Amino acid sequence: MNDKDLLSGIDPDTTGELISRRNAILKGATTSTAMMTALRIGTVPVVLAALSKDVYGQTPADVLDVLQFAYLLENLEAEFYKAVTGSSTSSAFNTAFAPVRATLTTREVATFEQIRKHEIAHVTLLRTAIIGAGGTPANFTPASFDFTGGDGSGTGPFLAATTNKGFLLAAAQGFEDTGVRAYKGQAGRLINDNATLTIALQIHSVEARHAAVVRKMRAASGAPVKASGTITGRQSGITGVPAPGQALVDSIYAGATPEDNTNHTAFNGTANATINAASLAGISAFGGVDAVTEAFDEPLTKAEVTAIVAPFVVGSNP
Amino acid sequence: MADPKKEVIIGDPGMFAEAATRRSFLRALGLGGSIVLLPGVFAACGDDDDDNGGIINPPPGGAVVLNLGTDIGIINYAYALEQLEAAFYTEVVTKFSTNGINDATERAILTDIRNHEVIHRDFLKLALGDAAIPNLSVNFGTATSSRQAALETARTFEDLGVAAYNGAGKYLANVNNLLLAGKIVSVEGRHAAVIRDILGTTGREFAGDDVVDSQGLDRAFEPAVVLSAADPFITTTITIGTAPRL
Repeated sequence: MNDKDLLSGIDPDTTGELISRRNAILKGATTSTAMMTALRIGTVPVVLAALSKDVYGQTPADVLDVLQFAYLLENLEAEFYKAVTGSSTSSAFNTAFAPVRATLTTREVATFEQIRKHEIAHVTLLRTAIIGAGGTPANFTPASFDFTGGDGSGTGPFLAATTNKGFLLAAAQGFEDTGVRAYKGQAGRLINDNATLTIALQIHSVEARHAAVVRKMRAASGAPVKASGTITGRQSGITGVPAPGQALVDSIYAGATPEDNTNHTAFNGTANATINAASLAGISAFGGVDAVTEAFDEPLTKAEVTAIVAPFVVGSNP
Repeated sequence: MADPKKEVIIGDPGMFAEAATRRSFLRALGLGGSIVLLPGVFAACGDDDDDNGGIINPPPGGAVVLNLGTDIGIINYAYALEQLEAAFYTEVVTKFSTNGINDATERAILTDIRNHEVIHRDFLKLALGDAAIPNLSVNFGTATSSRQAALETARTFEDLGVAAYNGAGKYLANVNNLLLAGKIVSVEGRHAAVIRDILGTTGREFAGDDVVDSQGLDRAFEPAVVLSAADPFITTTITIGTAPRL
């Protein structure tokens, strides 16, 4: 980032606030002594940097918050796949998933083990990153999670995942698509931390690989999802989950920017241009709106993800 | 192509990788200076302040210079890769009757991916507007003529696309552009996983240890590495003008 970028990144609202605070100082009015001191002793670049939208929105604390958020998601996923494959430190979880495990083919077990390996590696990597950023990783154990979505009851709406392969794959798809959408939603908060951003992107595409292979497995067993592993509209291809599980599944593909969104914005150097990809010329010959929605994955906000995973994280469901 | 009014055919295209040279040139033009056309060497010139993203659009058959120091340059880099992928799958699908890809599911997957890549290509072209690089010429040789070659080449392109977007994200300065890249890269990741799973025999290939490392990280490649890997399939000469900028 150079000075030009820094200056162009100043939020007009912040600039207005800066001016109003400056006026306040000049008037000797209500501005705090601390702020007055900061403005008095800070060089112009320091003050601008402090108030720049770019920096303002992406403090080290922000990066740490993203890392802690990702750490929760990766622990949830890692413990889930450990339970599914029988390698959890909780014998109760290993036992719970034994019935569905017995129905998996050798190849399916290998796929789950490969996913498990990555999620465990992500936990380790993020733990190191959090410590490196000056934070303290939360202490998650198997007891932190309830994969039935029952917030600790062990009898939530996803209980059938322990006995039914189709249901297990549906749950895995839900976790993976949530992960993809979660990382996508956080990327912007890392835009000024290149190292962390790149790592997040490298995890993000691995989660997408996981989601796709699970979707392909579901398609092969007759579930109404594309074998290409992509998301059509905002369809989960998952039905019949007992309340309130179905609404939760549906929410994975909804949100402020739902998966069936076709409007995407690019900054062309001078202005933001939002283009409706569904109106591209000749689109009907290339799969129409369905293909357009498949071609772009969409983000979830942190609040949206937190609400989705809450029933699986013991004690976090309000 | 950029606005024709801004384009001038002149000599060594390499001269125009230098902004100063381009400014001198345009100044000469403004003063009515004469231009020497060197035989057989052509380049077109944008204006001198990079508001076209620093992309020099040559006549058909000429070299394309990607100046990667701006978001527009990075998006053009993505557009080049999407052009490559869209052209590849279009050819694969066109040859279904002869290339031995007869399985209905495999055809459906490859047709879906063709659609997605065409949409990526056309969307990026529209987003870039006048700043878009020209259509690239491609040559896939026999890579689309048999099932095995087509799937293996698809695997190469999808893994490469993922690594390209992962490596380029840090060069994007605008959050909207970063989000846009994020919306596309996970779809490339999905494609990669599915193609790999078709080719695979163990169930681990979708995110195999050859592309996901011991830290659980997918690959992230620099543009020069990506363009070098794509080069055998692109007959248009693509060179990097200005380097990407953090």
